[in-house]
Amino acid sequence: MTAGLVMAFVLLPVGFIALYAFNNGAYVTLPPKAPTLHWFVNFFGNKRFVAALGSSLAIAALVTPAAVLVALPTAVALVRHEFPGKAMVNAMLLAPLVVPGVITGIAFLSLSSLVGMGGGFWPLTLALLCYGVPFAVRALVANLHGLDPTLDEVASNLGASRFRAFLWVTLPQLRPGLLAGGIFVFVEAIDNFSIAVFLTDSRTTTLPVEAYSYIRDFDDPTVAAMAALLMALSVVLVTVVDTVVGLDRFLELR
Amino acid sequence: MRPGTGLLLAPALAVFALFAVAFVLFAEVSVATFVPGSTSLAGPATLANYRHVLASPLVHDATVTTVGLAGVMTALTGLLGYPLTYVLARTPSATVRRGILFGLVVTFLSGGVTRAYAWLVLLGNRGLVNQLLGAVGVPPLQLVHNKTGVVIGVVHYLLPFFVLTLLGTLKNIPVTLEDVARNLGAPGWRVFLHVTLPLSLPGLITTSSLTFVGALSAFLFPELLGGGRTHMAASIIYERIVTNYNVPEAAAMASLFLGLTLAVLTVFGVLQQRLARRYRLSPPTRP
Repeated sequence: MTAGLVMAFVLLPVGFIALYAFNNGAYVTLPPKAPTLHWFVNFFGNKRFVAALGSSLAIAALVTPAAVLVALPTAVALVRHEFPGKAMVNAMLLAPLVVPGVITGIAFLSLSSLVGMGGGFWPLTLALLCYGVPFAVRALVANLHGLDPTLDEVASNLGASRFRAFLWVTLPQLRPGLLAGGIFVFVEAIDNFSIAVFLTDSRTTTLPVEAYSYIRDFDDPTVAAMAALLMALSVVLVTVVDTVVGLDRFLELR
Repeated sequence: MRPGTGLLLAPALAVFALFAVAFVLFAEVSVATFVPGSTSLAGPATLANYRHVLASPLVHDATVTTVGLAGVMTALTGLLGYPLTYVLARTPSATVRRGILFGLVVTFLSGGVTRAYAWLVLLGNRGLVNQLLGAVGVPPLQLVHNKTGVVIGVVHYLLPFFVLTLLGTLKNIPVTLEDVARNLGAPGWRVFLHVTLPLSLPGLITTSSLTFVGALSAFLFPELLGGGRTHMAASIIYERIVTNYNVPEAAAMASLFLGLTLAVLTVFGVLQQRLARRYRLSPPTRP
């Protein structure tokens, strides 16, 4: 019963925003008036928002595959190989997650200022890549730990090269980890605020940073329309995961 | 070391090297001198920035606020999250479990801005909560643009993470232990207090530690929901850059903040190790 109340608390904003995005008028009124798509039109009509959406998607499209590609060999090395200093490498790789976003943001701002850039698309992409890799590594390591390495050996015994064994035996089993890692990196790339806010400039902003400016200046549900879209995306992602892998399995592997 | 291990680790090490370089630079910036009115930095390395930061009453204030609020947030998250996690771990109904998981993950993936904004609207003077209260004759409560709003927002933000992280720990506690206690006549609350809670303590400490760090680092929520009056660490660091462009001082503040974060993690880590030895449970098969 307590659980029910807590879940109600958890889902309240999500449910509310879904409705508010269609709200007729800038303020919530009871009883509610007829729904409208006005705010969605407003959002897509706003040049800054659309540009920010484009940047966010572009960054996410670059960072997600890159992070997963970096994480894959790393996870294999961490789980299947022995080497000195393994524990340290493990800790090192998780560092970006523990460091508060503000600090990572400033650090990368300093770095890019040094090469004369300041904020911008590429510093932002690199910073979010560094931030995203640990997420992907964690998901893949968890997945790999649960796999049976003898299957690979069987493949090798049957004549497959190590690489082929990996490609055809291990990789297909890594679907949950790849999916989990990819999704977390993608969501963080789009939604990150603390790092992004330091690395945006006049030409490149991200959706959260733009939304933040808008909220401070305007008092209408346009941002709600954006939020509703993000939530719809979230629902789609979760449904995909549930269909392909099963939500249970997906989360047991965290 | 197998041949090829190096090759496998190379990409990650390259990424990490980038991260490390950024941080070395950041440390350098923190000991540089700010030249007002320009973006260049001057002077020999100096600890003046650090001295200035450590002496600043604004910083003291913000530190107390940050740690204090983070504590409150973590405690509330734990109080709300533990029962939910327990239900999630123990419910025999697959439907209930999937429903809860679905709700949690959708919330988790919908992002920070979405949720911060939702609370801004919900808790405002003309927001849904106050409208409902008004309908039953209660005068509007000041729920946002102050610490209350920030706490509500951050707790809500951390809750899915807390539950999903604690889930592994609770699932690793064999149900049979609880069943045995019940069979021997213990009422529900005693089973919890004497069996479940102690066994979950090490995992709970780790989860709380990560949650606490998340609360400490809160940036968007205090900015959006705090009404400019809630000074948490990340906010003042941000302000130092955006209003004065005093990057060296901001960097000094940030490294002290990092030190604080690491100190917190260490304290929690030590606590967790002590408890793990006391309430020893066979290690889970999954890391």
